[in-house]
Amino acid sequence: MIRTEEMLLNVGPQHPSTHGVLRLLVKVDGERIVETEPVIGYLHRGTEKLAEDLTYTQIIPYTDRMDYLSAMTNNYAVVHATEKLMGLEIPERAEFLRVIVMELNRVASHLVWMGTYLLDIGAMSPFLYAFRDREQILDLFNELCGARLTYNYMRVGGVKWDAPKDWIGKVDHFVSYMQKQMKEYHQLVTGNEIFIQRTKGIGVYDQETAINFALSGANLRVTGLNWDLRKDAPYSIYEQFTFDVPVGEVGDLYQKYLCRMKEIDESLKIVAQAVANFPSEGKIMGKVPRVLRVPEGEVYVGIESPRGELGCHIVSKGKDKPWRIKFRRPSFYNLQILPTLLKDENLSNLVAILGGIDIVLGEVDG
Amino acid sequence: MLGLIKGLNVTLKNMVKPKVTYNYPQEPLEMPDRFRGIQYFDPDKCIVCNQCVRVCPTDCISLTGKKNPDPNQKGKVIETYNINFEICILCDLCTEVCPTEAVVMTNNFELSTYSRDELFKNSEWLFANDENIRSENTLNPIPVKKPTGGTPS
Ligand code: SF4
Ligand code: SF4
Repeated sequence: MIRTEEMLLNVGPQHPSTHGVLRLLVKVDGERIVETEPVIGYLHRGTEKLAEDLTYTQIIPYTDRMDYLSAMTNNYAVVHATEKLMGLEIPERAEFLRVIVMELNRVASHLVWMGTYLLDIGAMSPFLYAFRDREQILDLFNELCGARLTYNYMRVGGVKWDAPKDWIGKVDHFVSYMQKQMKEYHQLVTGNEIFIQRTKGIGVYDQETAINFALSGANLRVTGLNWDLRKDAPYSIYEQFTFDVPVGEVGDLYQKYLCRMKEIDESLKIVAQAVANFPSEGKIMGKVPRVLRVPEGEVYVGIESPRGELGCHIVSKGKDKPWRIKFRRPSFYNLQILPTLLKDENLSNLVAILGGIDIVLGEVDG
Repeated sequence: MLGLIKGLNVTLKNMVKPKVTYNYPQEPLEMPDRFRGIQYFDPDKCIVCNQCVRVCPTDCISLTGKKNPDPNQKGKVIETYNINFEICILCDLCTEVCPTEAVVMTNNFELSTYSRDELFKNSEWLFANDENIRSENTLNPIPVKKPTGGTPS
């Protein structure tokens, strides 16, 4: 008589498709996944606790290291929360620079996602193309703030550097270049039959499930809900720009891919508008005291990072350091749905579904 | 099949395009002026104000000062100045607050060594690191204080 047994499979923490150091304990029955348990914490540095002992300016470089694929949005979350609590006015030029870098960062982040996602499911070349184009964004950032990943660019009250000479022109040039490149990506990937077979109708969930799991970003919009904090709770100067929020219908992996690709298009649109209306002069720092003392109080701000709602909650007791700071890290919340999605799936879909969530472990672990 | 062929078309077109990679270790890689590389430190400019130590988020700068040997001059002069590059995150905050631009960033980034101890750099080493010094520096350039008017703290 044939006897079958469940097997325990350990995926990660050193696995190229877990995008960092995520470990998955998977119980499989043959090829079928019975149960998955994500084990997190390998990259935990205790950013929130460390921040209690740091001044507001010192926290900014630490946020670079949470979601290291979009450090600009992380920078923004903490400075925006602080500014809100202090009631600061930000010069227009600084806001434009912030929007430009945040949207470029979204493009860069989505490119990394697209490249590595396709690499996960077996396509090598899109990865190289995506990194080639992302490199141009990193070069722009390097020129602007002197680093390729850990920007430490924003400051409470404005930004550290003004745009160097010709930089805005270069951004403009990049936008038109990238818009052309997007056609190439669609040609390369979107119609590819193998890709479609690996993603269409896989990892489906409905809107209610997505809301119950507090998903945000493309993971939520793919189910058809139009929810983008840039539109629904506008911050910075996003109200000035016209852009659409791409949504999906069925909530499968293929649509997630399409959503994110369209988000790149929309981000490029925003950057193009920001470049066209870029103030020719103006300050990049508002009036800020040399030692930042934040008045007593509590504030929460949520912004739309490439991965979803990135929140920053600060409780201040009137000192130069926060009494408590909490980040709502979208990757962490989005990851929670994984065990549900993987139940009864075929093992070969594991990396496809995991990759589709788009997690960054630095952010999951905090 | 059609999608695959379309994709291959892109690959073929790119085959004849020029290379985008750098021949890095063989050829030096130039960084833009603002690049945040290993710091240069000028002991003569330092007024021992301790601001860089206080602002450093990772506590990797340590310094000591001594009384100015010249009895006619007030203030302190620097005695030792060390940066521990095991934990320095090259965040740029120290160079941002330094009122005299005694500590500034350079464009040099090659720091790898065979032992961790070698990453502890003293003021002689940092002073010798004087190539490719960044030309643009502080956030709100403050008028350079004369070393004599330093405020010891
Ligand atoms: S660059 Fe940052 S971490 Fe390094 S010494 Fe300066 S303040 Fe400290
Ligand atoms: S901030 Fe500048 S002047 Fe002050 S102690 Fe540091 S290096 Fe010296």
